[in-house]
Amino acid sequence: MRHAKKPDQVDAIVVGLGATGATAAKVLSEAGLKVVGFDRGPWLSAKDHYSGDELKFVNRNYLWPDPNLFPRTLRHDETSAAERFPFSPTPQLVGGGTNHWAGWVPRPRESDFMVRSLHGDIEGASLADWPIRYEHLEPYLTKVEWEFGISGIAGADKYEPFRSKAYPSEPLRPTKFGKRFYEACNKMGINGFPIPHAMVTNNHKGRDPFNTTSFWNQYGDPSTARSNTLTTFIPEAVATGNFELRSESFVREITVGKDGRATGVVYIDPDGNEVVQEAKVVVLGLGAIESARLMLMSKSPQFPDGLGNSSGMVGKNATFHEYVFAVGLFDQEIDDPLHGWAGNYISGGTFEFYETDENRGHIGGCLISASQTCHPINWVFPGRPQWGQSLKDADRSYFNFAMKIGAILHDMPVESNRVDLDPTVKDAWGLPVARITHKPHANDVAMSKWQVDKNAEILQVAGARKTVPVYLDRMTGNTCHQHGTARMGTDPSKTVLNEWCQSHDVDNLFVVDGSCFPTSTGVNPTLTMMANAWRVSEYIADVWSKGREEHITLAG
Amino acid sequence: MTLKADWEIVGSPIDPDSDERLFFTDHEWDTIEAAAARIIPTDHDPGAREARVVVFIDRYLSGIDYIFAAADGSGFLKLTGKFADAWRARMFDMQQTYRDGIKALDAVARDQFSKAFKDLGESEQDLVLEAFSGAPKPGPVTLGSSLAVGTFLQGTFDQGLPFFEALCLHTRQGFYCDPVYGGNKDQIGWKIIGFPGPKSLKDTMDGTYSTTEYFVEEYDWNELVPHLGKAG
Repeated sequence: MRHAKKPDQVDAIVVGLGATGATAAKVLSEAGLKVVGFDRGPWLSAKDHYSGDELKFVNRNYLWPDPNLFPRTLRHDETSAAERFPFSPTPQLVGGGTNHWAGWVPRPRESDFMVRSLHGDIEGASLADWPIRYEHLEPYLTKVEWEFGISGIAGADKYEPFRSKAYPSEPLRPTKFGKRFYEACNKMGINGFPIPHAMVTNNHKGRDPFNTTSFWNQYGDPSTARSNTLTTFIPEAVATGNFELRSESFVREITVGKDGRATGVVYIDPDGNEVVQEAKVVVLGLGAIESARLMLMSKSPQFPDGLGNSSGMVGKNATFHEYVFAVGLFDQEIDDPLHGWAGNYISGGTFEFYETDENRGHIGGCLISASQTCHPINWVFPGRPQWGQSLKDADRSYFNFAMKIGAILHDMPVESNRVDLDPTVKDAWGLPVARITHKPHANDVAMSKWQVDKNAEILQVAGARKTVPVYLDRMTGNTCHQHGTARMGTDPSKTVLNEWCQSHDVDNLFVVDGSCFPTSTGVNPTLTMMANAWRVSEYIADVWSKGREEHITLAG
Repeated sequence: MTLKADWEIVGSPIDPDSDERLFFTDHEWDTIEAAAARIIPTDHDPGAREARVVVFIDRYLSGIDYIFAAADGSGFLKLTGKFADAWRARMFDMQQTYRDGIKALDAVARDQFSKAFKDLGESEQDLVLEAFSGAPKPGPVTLGSSLAVGTFLQGTFDQGLPFFEALCLHTRQGFYCDPVYGGNKDQIGWKIIGFPGPKSLKDTMDGTYSTTEYFVEEYDWNELVPHLGKAG
């Protein structure tokens, strides 16, 4: 390995520049800290590199990680052999998953922060309360909604907790399948409302949201309609003059000094040189799988089991949500076309079935929503005939006559569901890959069945003549949501991070992505993650870097 | 090393009318063209044959020159470094899958009908595909029913697929892809299912291509979301 000249020490290193890392880079550099940010993926230009090419974006992994370069392995329990599987393939590049995401950004609910207080212990799960509450996050939810750019209608969601400010942008007009969803909800007494969307429809902060192509979920957006940290927080961080971005640079270890504090990182630059970068504080935002992996790879005499892992909890209690849904087919002889491929993926949804209802026989619930059925090659019709006249007839009859309603599974934390280092499989840099061990909890299976059946019922009320329910049979990570591998909490023997997402073991190591989530919540996590990253970054800049320490005490 | 962010644009869009073979032998070309025509058959509408699916598959299998179209569709990206290595290895495996698969398809055809696959009639070809796939030929979709299925993955990648599954997927891709990749000639696939589609990828980058007419024209949020009225 060649070694390049060591650059000067900086105030802060941010590893991973997706939703949360870019938020940290912005907040820290705007506060005056000198920051270097690393991403293993490219620093693309949205306006030059993105267009409506289904094959490239959806089938050939232009943004999804190449499974040969960035493999992962999956097994369902401790005793079975792990197999290569592209589990939770969140794009690895500057902007991360905000490049390709649909951009669901509902607010979390108050109940999400206190699942254990509400339900006690349930067998086989490790429920926990968060060391913060909704009220601690609310000001930062508002900051992200305004600074990042979110469209929605305040007051439309009957079940939303307190908000201090409305949205900066109006939602898109409804799609045809969205209208069907609202109408069915109204017949059933359900509060359907436009799901808050990480995009703007106005010129908020000088943006030019011209993209009305309907190429949205999984595609990059060449306009600035989509709220993507690549086109928002990253340029804002760069504009401070305090932020330097090193892309296609792979951080392989966080280094520690004799005193057990982090000294910086070792990374491999695009030419294959190994470089040491020192900093006063190291902030991880790689996502819950890769942050856990990097901590576990950072072994030292002080931390033989991985950095910040004296509790042995790094990687454990991993939760991933899973997208489960039902598709409805309509009759072209009777019904008007639904054009399920049109729109920016997201449409109407509801929190009607989110909170626990003991009559259902399980705890928790899900946000459900109607969304796009997508484009010709991959349009979502599970069970579609594979070949022959029936295939051609099915595409011709139903491509424009289908809609879907789905749920993201509010999965329960289970200690044995975890991320560790695969003992044999290596990535293209020769480093051990993340191995996922996961088996759904019985509550997950029951919840997904109930929610999918509810989706099918709404489709039937909407007029569907055939429904195709897709139940949970195993966790595949198909939402790219990752949480819980470095839970935050007050007890250093049971959690990895404190309420500021600061390592209990290493005071200058912070993890700002979903790793800190004690429980998965039932909402798409990115808004919560970004708000939390903002909260933590502000603490680093305003309190920790000034040599002070604060703690949050919860009432009651 | 050239970064992924700086991949050059080389070559030009694939000509769907080309009869030049970059990967297949003549026999392989004819076999794949015939098999694709049974996967998406020609009826009162054009099928895989007319969409030039065989050109799409031939170019894809030829190496790593036709993996990612340039964003504007003016040519293809020149892969570098580890990405190029990964794709080269992957395409080597897929080439082998096709070479072996075509031989195996012919073996079934010869065994059952004493002819190569491409020389059989359509119904005989269907019987061979049925035997080869190990499952009955799919029947029509019927309304008035419910069909439960298992896990769903976003995005279908072809790595590691057996020959028949790969061929079905690639036929579908060649029928519905952006025409820059050599298939979906004259947007035939899009037309028959009623997808408007952009004239060129470039039109999706600057606002030229718009689908707003497929949204709801007139609406009132207070009607769609009655709670708004109550809250107000």
